[in-house]
Amino acid sequence: MTSRAADLLPPVRPRRAFQLSGLPVGALLAPLLLLGLWQLLCLSGVFPPQVLVPPSGVARTLEEMALSGELQRHLGDSMRRLLLGFAIGAAAGMAFGVTIALSRLAEAALSPLFLTLWQVPVIAFVPMMVMFLGIDEPFKLAVVAIAAFFPMALATFDGIRGVPKSWFEVAKVYRLSLFQLIRRILLPATVPAVLTGLRVSLTRAWVVLVAAELLAADSGLGQMMEMGRQLFQIDVVLAGVIVTGLVGFLLDRGARWVESHATRWRAA
Amino acid sequence: MSAHPHAREDKPPQSVQHGALSVRDLDKSFQIGGRPHKVLDGINLDVRPGEFVSIVGASGCGKSTLLRLIVGLDTDYSGELRLDGERIATTSLDRGIIFQDHRLFPWMTLEQNVELALLNTDTPKDRRAKIVADHIALVNLTGFEKAYPHQLSGGMAQRAAIARALVTEPRLLLLDEPLGALDALTRVHVQNELQRIWMAQRSTMVMVTHDVEEALYLGDRVIVMSPNPGRIRRIVDVDLPHPRDRRSPLLHRLKDEILAELTSGADADAADNLVHLPSREPR
Ligand SMILES: Nc1ncnc2c1ncn2[C@@H]1O[C@H](COP(=O)(O)OP(=O)(O)O)[C@@H](O)[C@H]1O
Ligand SMILES: [Mg+2]
Repeated sequence: MTSRAADLLPPVRPRRAFQLSGLPVGALLAPLLLLGLWQLLCLSGVFPPQVLVPPSGVARTLEEMALSGELQRHLGDSMRRLLLGFAIGAAAGMAFGVTIALSRLAEAALSPLFLTLWQVPVIAFVPMMVMFLGIDEPFKLAVVAIAAFFPMALATFDGIRGVPKSWFEVAKVYRLSLFQLIRRILLPATVPAVLTGLRVSLTRAWVVLVAAELLAADSGLGQMMEMGRQLFQIDVVLAGVIVTGLVGFLLDRGARWVESHATRWRAA
Repeated sequence: MSAHPHAREDKPPQSVQHGALSVRDLDKSFQIGGRPHKVLDGINLDVRPGEFVSIVGASGCGKSTLLRLIVGLDTDYSGELRLDGERIATTSLDRGIIFQDHRLFPWMTLEQNVELALLNTDTPKDRRAKIVADHIALVNLTGFEKAYPHQLSGGMAQRAAIARALVTEPRLLLLDEPLGALDALTRVHVQNELQRIWMAQRSTMVMVTHDVEEALYLGDRVIVMSPNPGRIRRIVDVDLPHPRDRRSPLLHRLKDEILAELTSGADADAADNLVHLPSREPR
């Protein structure tokens, strides 16, 4: 006869490390500090201004590129690739995860290969893919899809395998059909894991896409940076770095927001 | 596997005809380390329609296994299990079960959790909401229909599980230590409710508990089981009308008897098993 402390506590709202709306002032402290140091370093004259462009210069470049529409063009191309490639990769990953989670045979046959390939950095596939696909859109979509595929497959697999046996028993007691079991128990039970998988694979896909564009592309944020490097326009490179980071940050935040709102029923 | 929930509404609760459970020569073994390990040995038991039977026994003596066999979650046994003469081969909406953990689905509200049980009954769709509300009221949770399980206390969640199990009006309701995780006070409270619900519904109920007092307070009979392998050691009739008074001398006398019975073997074992820890030896 034990009394569980959890019974006596009021329900707690899901804990979130950061709020999307109303960013705490503290969150701005580190970036501002970094900008200050950067500006100071430029003023000190240790590096020539062509090598280390001051933040003000990068800001000016960003503004110019935004006004000319060049930034939007690159960003738009990257985002289009990201979303399309991600949709393909995540859907395939989800289907694959469901398959190996539900079929022991499929798991035995496919999971060793899957786990081996998973250890290979996606970028390592790039040279081979360039040979087969060239450097046009199919190549970039494939890179993004592969990057999204693995975390998604793994999260889906874990999500389904993590459904407690006791829930299957409840379904059996109430005579749920297979379709009812999937729709009412398995799907909602795996939603949290799948959403986490979507977030991880989305941000992973973004990083890999920009890296792939750096290596081989004719447009996109990565290519913008690579062109800047070749033309020794370090301000353009730094502008690309900042935009890449911001986009990644916002993708992560957006996905977290969806996650916490879709799983409001979860206790802390 | 036809269920007829709510078909009994027109009959007075006294005229219980359904829910006779018969267990004949039931044996059950598990394979442990490649060898069969007998968990239940020659269980014979008849439960009358509308009766409340409690089962007590040492942990590991096969009480949960017995309930899982009766409810149809495990069908690998020898012997015979029948409900109203019909052989038990799988789960059925005629047989409900409540586990120690409430097993409510965390993404469904209380209401949705209870309604899930009606999914495959022939209850008309337009009556379901009313029936769900009635059963939520029955366990005194009106007002919490839209609450998620994590917003309910342990006692409330267990009462919600009771509502879900009763909403199909099973002929037989099995309860596996349903109040085991509750604190002492909540427990007494839910015991009272369980008695009230049973008196109102008169489903046959078989409840496993490790609390002898609880077994006696609720049970028309108390089955005392012994372990290794699980056998019925004794069946105690509790000849008191419901609702009962916890202070009844009969209950206290029977409690002492059953406790003596349960601990007699254990004490002998404990003496044999006493391990002397060298570091704790008196100096
Ligand atoms: N799925 C299983 N596989 C193997 N052994 C089991 C399984 N379930 C229960 N047992 C064994 O059966 C015995 C009885 O278990 P159980 O019915 O849970 O006991 P009780 O509910 O009386 O505590 C225990 O020794 C337990 O280890
Ligand atoms: Mg048990």
